[in-house]
Amino acid sequence: MDSTKIIKDKARELLASKKVECVMGFERATDGKTARPLFAYTPEETERFIYDQTCVHNLAKFLLNWKDKTTAIIAKPCDVRSINMLIQEQQIKREKIYIIGVVCSGMAECSWNRVGPTQERCTTCPQHNPPIYDFLVGELVAEKEPAASINPKVADLLAKPPAERRAFWNEQFSHCIRCYACRQACPGCYCTECFVDQLDPQWVGIRHSPADNHMWNTVRAFHLAGRCTQCGECQRVCPVNIPLMLVNDELTKEVGDKFAFQPGMDASTLPPFATFKKDEHLGIG
Amino acid sequence: MVKFIQKTDLLAWLEGIMRERTLVAPVKEEGVTRFRPVEKVADIVMDSGSTDLSAKDWFFPPSEVLFTMSKVDGQAVITPTTMAKEAVLFGLHPCDAQGIALMDLPFLAEPTDTIYAEKREKTTLVGLACRQACPECFCTSFGSSPFDSAGLDVLLIESGEGYIVQSTTPKGQKLLDSAKVTEANVEMPQPPAVNSVPIEGLVEIAPKLFNDAFWNRLADRCIHCNMCADVCPACYCFDIRDYTGKGGLVERVRTWESCQASGFTRIAGGYTPRPTKGARLRQRFYHKFLYMPKQLGKIGCTGCGRCVRVCPVNIDIREIITTMQKSGAKIGAGSS
Repeated sequence: MDSTKIIKDKARELLASKKVECVMGFERATDGKTARPLFAYTPEETERFIYDQTCVHNLAKFLLNWKDKTTAIIAKPCDVRSINMLIQEQQIKREKIYIIGVVCSGMAECSWNRVGPTQERCTTCPQHNPPIYDFLVGELVAEKEPAASINPKVADLLAKPPAERRAFWNEQFSHCIRCYACRQACPGCYCTECFVDQLDPQWVGIRHSPADNHMWNTVRAFHLAGRCTQCGECQRVCPVNIPLMLVNDELTKEVGDKFAFQPGMDASTLPPFATFKKDEHLGIG
Repeated sequence: MVKFIQKTDLLAWLEGIMRERTLVAPVKEEGVTRFRPVEKVADIVMDSGSTDLSAKDWFFPPSEVLFTMSKVDGQAVITPTTMAKEAVLFGLHPCDAQGIALMDLPFLAEPTDTIYAEKREKTTLVGLACRQACPECFCTSFGSSPFDSAGLDVLLIESGEGYIVQSTTPKGQKLLDSAKVTEANVEMPQPPAVNSVPIEGLVEIAPKLFNDAFWNRLADRCIHCNMCADVCPACYCFDIRDYTGKGGLVERVRTWESCQASGFTRIAGGYTPRPTKGARLRQRFYHKFLYMPKQLGKIGCTGCGRCVRVCPVNIDIREIITTMQKSGAKIGAGSS
């Protein structure tokens, strides 16, 4: 049976039995090619669900709006890792969420009216099976060794001298229009008031100067260190094509190397920046 | 017979313009097309379709200094930003010209935004007719069309080895003085077909749907990234803050903002009149479909389709217009 049919049936059953109030999944977008999020509240609406390589969105972000409702969510492995991250950070409750986990072999590069080849991030992704689920779509597969999971572009960039790296990021961040779409799409960005919106004190200027653009983009990335589940939503939504996953992947690598930690693999291990061990000395400072 | 300019002569004309004025045209940066001052004519993307970021960038940039303030001999001196030299905005499509006309409504209304007004005054608008319609655009819904010269000083229509030249204003005529325009027997090409979206009755329907559950359902998937507002040629919300720099120099900075941002309507004391996602999303469409027509006389949309293209969750303004009309028809039928 195909994934779409399995998801439709499961979603219908969950809503008909009133086990959940809403099922979050995907339907076809108005271009007839790509997908968009669908929130089904009635068994009838589940007919609109689809599932294929165009279902790129990480729906975990939407769970943050639904804290009091029982919700089922269609989630790929990176999305499930975000769910784990949010549970771990006490933003959502496991018992309120029914996870329809989907085994993933990579998603397509999608933009309006265009379905491209497999996304770059998916080619090095270490996780094809959802780490946790209540219902599984697809057959579990053998996972790759994490060593093979490092974005090769990170190593290329790190091999360059600092001045060159700085020039590269200055150039990239100069395009930023400070729309904060990266933040809005990220499941890890849920502060009630983002530091960039704070007026007193004002941490970052609103003008689009090199210093302010750098400040925003760097601090955004740092706040995701050890928390980013590499779902790629920030980069997907960036209207000026800043390669945000490059900086995220670098931080993921640093956290992996220093703390042997992979964000969102389970909901119980405390993330490195939420814990402190007295014997921990990383040679910093 | 029509007025005609060869492609090579067009480039020579643009190079001439660049020597005296700032030439602003579509260029590609990291795969994103946007209007920028150009240094080389070769950098111009002639066949850009509708640019990813709209032409409002030039008149109402993402971030600009409105004026600086300093203290001289104990007196505050305010120096407004002025334009050093005249500019030519090249490569506008008819929908871009419509967008500028919509921007004029709030910025040129009394009290006039003098910085915007100066830029408008000192900029000549040169358009390129659309030889292809984007699948997401619907300019014909708002009275424009792929070969529409309204609002432009010069319109160029590509045909064979050059462009048919139409100039509708003295400003355009003056700019063309330096161009090698000849009379030629060139056939006027057919404009491409545009997928129109009916907008009849939209303004009248809108108030009836204010409390419709539709807006909250739509907001379910909206992530409030505000990119629709950023790429929109008609969205003009902004934020202003003052910055103190070296030597006590104060700069007043204006940047783009969106009515959909949660902090946009927050007022002193922390109260937010539009506290929900649905209320904020509705505000953007009501500003376009109801408040702008009521206050400024025109619907705040050009049908350029940029918001459709950029939205990461496919909130499609065409679908919204159609849904509003269908719901409005239902309400109308119910009350009769």
